[in-house]
Amino acid sequence: MSSKDSKTPKPEETKEPKAVKKMLEEDDEFEDFPAEEWEEDETEVPGGGKPNLWEESWDDDDLSEDFSKQLREELKRVDAQKASGEMQR
Amino acid sequence: MESLIRAWRLAHVEENGKLLASTISLTNTDLEEFAYSTNSARVAEDIFRALEYENNSARPKITNKNGLEAWAEVYVAFWKVSQSLERYDEVEWGQVFTGMKDLTQAVIRGFQNSGWEVWALEVLYTACKYLRYVAIRADEAKRAEGEDAWKQLEEAARIINRAFNVCLNDRAELAQSRKWGTYYIINLLFKTYFKLNAITLSKNILKALVANTTEMPDLLSFRTSDIVTFKYYCGVIAFLDEDYFKAEEHLEMAYKLCHKDAQKNKELILTYLIPTKLLTRRQLPSATLLKPHPSLEALFLPLARCIKDGDLRGYDEYLAKGEDWFVKKRIFLTLERGRDITLRNLFRKVYLAAGESKTRIPVDHFRAAVSWKSGVDVETEEVECFLANMMYKGYIKGYISRERGMVVLSGTNAFPNPSNTS
Repeated sequence: MSSKDSKTPKPEETKEPKAVKKMLEEDDEFEDFPAEEWEEDETEVPGGGKPNLWEESWDDDDLSEDFSKQLREELKRVDAQKASGEMQR
Repeated sequence: MESLIRAWRLAHVEENGKLLASTISLTNTDLEEFAYSTNSARVAEDIFRALEYENNSARPKITNKNGLEAWAEVYVAFWKVSQSLERYDEVEWGQVFTGMKDLTQAVIRGFQNSGWEVWALEVLYTACKYLRYVAIRADEAKRAEGEDAWKQLEEAARIINRAFNVCLNDRAELAQSRKWGTYYIINLLFKTYFKLNAITLSKNILKALVANTTEMPDLLSFRTSDIVTFKYYCGVIAFLDEDYFKAEEHLEMAYKLCHKDAQKNKELILTYLIPTKLLTRRQLPSATLLKPHPSLEALFLPLARCIKDGDLRGYDEYLAKGEDWFVKKRIFLTLERGRDITLRNLFRKVYLAAGESKTRIPVDHFRAAVSWKSGVDVETEEVECFLANMMYKGYIKGYISRERGMVVLSGTNAFPNPSNTS
């Protein structure tokens, strides 16, 4: 081991033994990022923000005709059912 | 062995932490050569001599005899690790773990007793990172044989916890302080405790951190990768504690700062941010937000649509469809509360259908709507109960007049804007 050949140090980690690679792919875990630092323009939501990521949980559009119509029909059905229920009593 | 130890010298001359860390990495390209370069009878002496040789050829010298001994301990342990990885057909992970433990403890001692400087912190990161990976492999091997425990990972957690304290409690001036390693190590601990299902231990770490904040640099001055990972775990911890406003704050920051190409991590953040925002703001993910994530889209988009439509049956069905995954992610119970919002939206539609200015609406109208949208004929009493519940929770302003079978709604803002009420 005292022989000093001309082999240069290799700092780069190029080899990924299979066993190690498999570990790194563990399925449910927050992963290591490929870089440690990144600039703002590489972030998911840079300074100005992104539009339309979240919306209100209700529709603020005018209520569709369909809904009103179907609700009226449903109401008739419920009324009819109620009436027949009362008759049975 | 020579190339590895030469890299050790070079790294010290350049104060290059990454290069130094690569000399104890399991992915080092010289691992095999290193494993075969000596044997167990000679390894201690061979390594010490190699270090001594490189130390003598550096001007000025890197360290003294004690310093060389500290490093020799590290590389002897690393040699054992390399040997267990490279010299057998089948890797015995328990053996690799024993070597990794020695290695990591030697590294911690180096920082504690031998004055290793802050530029070398990468060495501590690499040791702790692989210690954890190897522990998981070793435990998995045991588990495959039928043992139901994570003993080696627990042991690894205790060692990484020591590394945490070595960073946290460093009293050196800030520029030279190991405090700069705190968040990387905390994140490793979080990952470990989550795997061990020991969330309380994560909270202890946060407590220790809070007790130390006065001397700790601001989180934002750490590396972005450290910040995002830390914020993600803090967010999930707050979420599991049902502290949704805190969770929202952490997770939103994690999402905003997350690297835009880190697909998997963004999905993990959104998995908790979506149910969180449903409760804190009653807001839903937009199609734009979900589009790049087909698996999340498939689970969350139908739920979002049902909430908007007041579709109770659809909501229950899609919730049941995703149940296994939701339960596994521990978001099921939170999502279940989305049913209230669905019901609120349905009641609001009934109100709108009656005409904006109407404040008295028959209970039967609500009953008809619920029967229609849930696919089950409900009784009047049941609907009254739903309505009362909605009123109690502040979703609806008004009261029920039972004698008249009427819901009497507030003349102004009968369905308060959710974002302002909570």
